[in-house]
Amino acid sequence: MTAADPLVDFSGVKKNYGTFEAVKTLDLTIGRGEFVAIMGPSGCGKTTTLRMLAGLENPTAGTIRIDGQVMNDVPVHERDTPLVWQSLALFPFLNVVENVEFGLKMRGVEAKERRDRAMLWLDRMGLKGFETRPVDALSGGQRQRVALARSLVTEPQMLLLDEPLSALDAHLVIRMQGVLTKLQKELGITFVYVTHSQSEAFAMADRVVIMGQGEIAQIGTPQEIFRAPNNRFVAEFVGRNNILEGTVSGGIITIDGAEYPLPGAADGPAEIVVAADRMEIHATVSDAAAIPAEFVSEEFAGTGIICYFEGPDGEELKAQVNETQLAALAPEPGQTFWLSWLPDAAHVMAG
Amino acid sequence: MGRSLSWVYVAALFAFVFAPILTSMVFSFNSDRFPTVPLGEFTTHWYETAFSRPEVWTAFRNSLVVAASAAALSTFIGFATAYTDFRFGFRFKSAYLALALLPPTIPLVIMGLAMLAWLSQLGLSGTIQGIIIAHTVMGAPFAMAICRLRLQQMDPSLEAAARNLGASPWRAMRTVVIPFCMPAIISAYCLTAAVSFDEFMVAWFVSGLHRTVPVIILEILQGNVDPQINAIGTVVFLTSMTLVIVSQLLILRKSAK
Repeated sequence: MTAADPLVDFSGVKKNYGTFEAVKTLDLTIGRGEFVAIMGPSGCGKTTTLRMLAGLENPTAGTIRIDGQVMNDVPVHERDTPLVWQSLALFPFLNVVENVEFGLKMRGVEAKERRDRAMLWLDRMGLKGFETRPVDALSGGQRQRVALARSLVTEPQMLLLDEPLSALDAHLVIRMQGVLTKLQKELGITFVYVTHSQSEAFAMADRVVIMGQGEIAQIGTPQEIFRAPNNRFVAEFVGRNNILEGTVSGGIITIDGAEYPLPGAADGPAEIVVAADRMEIHATVSDAAAIPAEFVSEEFAGTGIICYFEGPDGEELKAQVNETQLAALAPEPGQTFWLSWLPDAAHVMAG
Repeated sequence: MGRSLSWVYVAALFAFVFAPILTSMVFSFNSDRFPTVPLGEFTTHWYETAFSRPEVWTAFRNSLVVAASAAALSTFIGFATAYTDFRFGFRFKSAYLALALLPPTIPLVIMGLAMLAWLSQLGLSGTIQGIIIAHTVMGAPFAMAICRLRLQQMDPSLEAAARNLGASPWRAMRTVVIPFCMPAIISAYCLTAAVSFDEFMVAWFVSGLHRTVPVIILEILQGNVDPQINAIGTVVFLTSMTLVIVSQLLILRKSAK
């Protein structure tokens, strides 16, 4: 996968801790000015990847280039890769403006200039008037913005973010997502954002890299990942996907003896994915092919309600409805429904 | 009822601990030669006599030099040991820690004898440096324990964050780790100074002619029972208590956060 104007290039990068392979052969290019989210479950190697980019870990094999320069032997403090930490890691013995100035001080910027530049960033982050407060007197959202100002005050060409929003309340997360995307557009710099939250990744990133067990499972735009997962791991990780196994023959897939149109698919065994919001629930059996499934439970999830069903082989099936639809269906646990989808909702997975 | 009982219990406990010291303080201002009740008149005579002796002044000076130096060395070694434990993972780490924390478990007589034997090999027995070395060995584990407590409260990302913002390893240590640990470092300094200032047994073995305050107290005591001892004892107690209280206040204030 290549980007138009590459800034970062991982080529054949591996990272082992003893016998544990945290990252197995990573090839990834990140473009200049791109917002890339690296997403995956805990232990998938996403944070290790980010830490290698910042120089906090050394790759066991392979090369990492930034701006064409091989970075493997460049020590942390000589890199221009500020990181926003999960814990924020603000210095508790320094006040707000001293925290923001820290990077400039380390770079030898003289006192007056660094104070001015720090104040400019505090102003930009809406923290004017807070400069002499101790950092532990700030709210979570304010601390977040201090951390951002501290990382951006040195005007880096790239910002690394390690699950920076994971400690915030839900309403603040949405607001900070807005702050981050706006900032990234205005500055035009590269953001590399590590998260386990697909809502964060999909809401902000231009490209999403899904990692699992130390490898890249899929790279694509949020739409591509969401609608067309490459493999079972991605489909399951993204969630709200139904994964169905069947056999394709002449544009028809047979699942549990029922036939569903699947135009253009190659013959042979196949796995298809149907997103929960494309799955339709019928209270009665009709002529069209549908999977009989027992209702299990419902879950309110922001944009709608996910209904969980158990299929004929005990597999979990999901369908998203709105409140009106739910009221009309009035499902009872154990009650049987029929689930179907339109042919264009089914995506055949590659591997 | 239960509440007032527990107050009585606490008061009794404190009385039990502090009664001997208070008695000694009271008798240091008592005009009678022997500690008897009823008390005689108030006097500062015993302080005047004690501090008119040049060897008492020398002993105080020795004790101060030893305490100040041993505390500095103990704190440095203690902090370095604690930081090594905090920052690095290595084989036999638990053995390393056990060894670092071992000295306080050694009986003082053994420690004193061992120090005497070892320091005379080095030609340092009977010197101020010898006492400083012995007290450093005894103080370092306490300093380490205090610094370790503080480091455990430190977000491990803090140092990495400083490096990430352009600080070299030494600069990160200077600008982040040490400032963060400063209350513990001062506290460790005060506590190890108090340990050294009070310490009799090992100092008695290795001090030779450079007697420290506790050693000279014994010498005066061996000559005759004299309220001068109470006077010197009171000064020693107040010095040590001040150091220990400062140390405790610093630890408590920072852990409350």
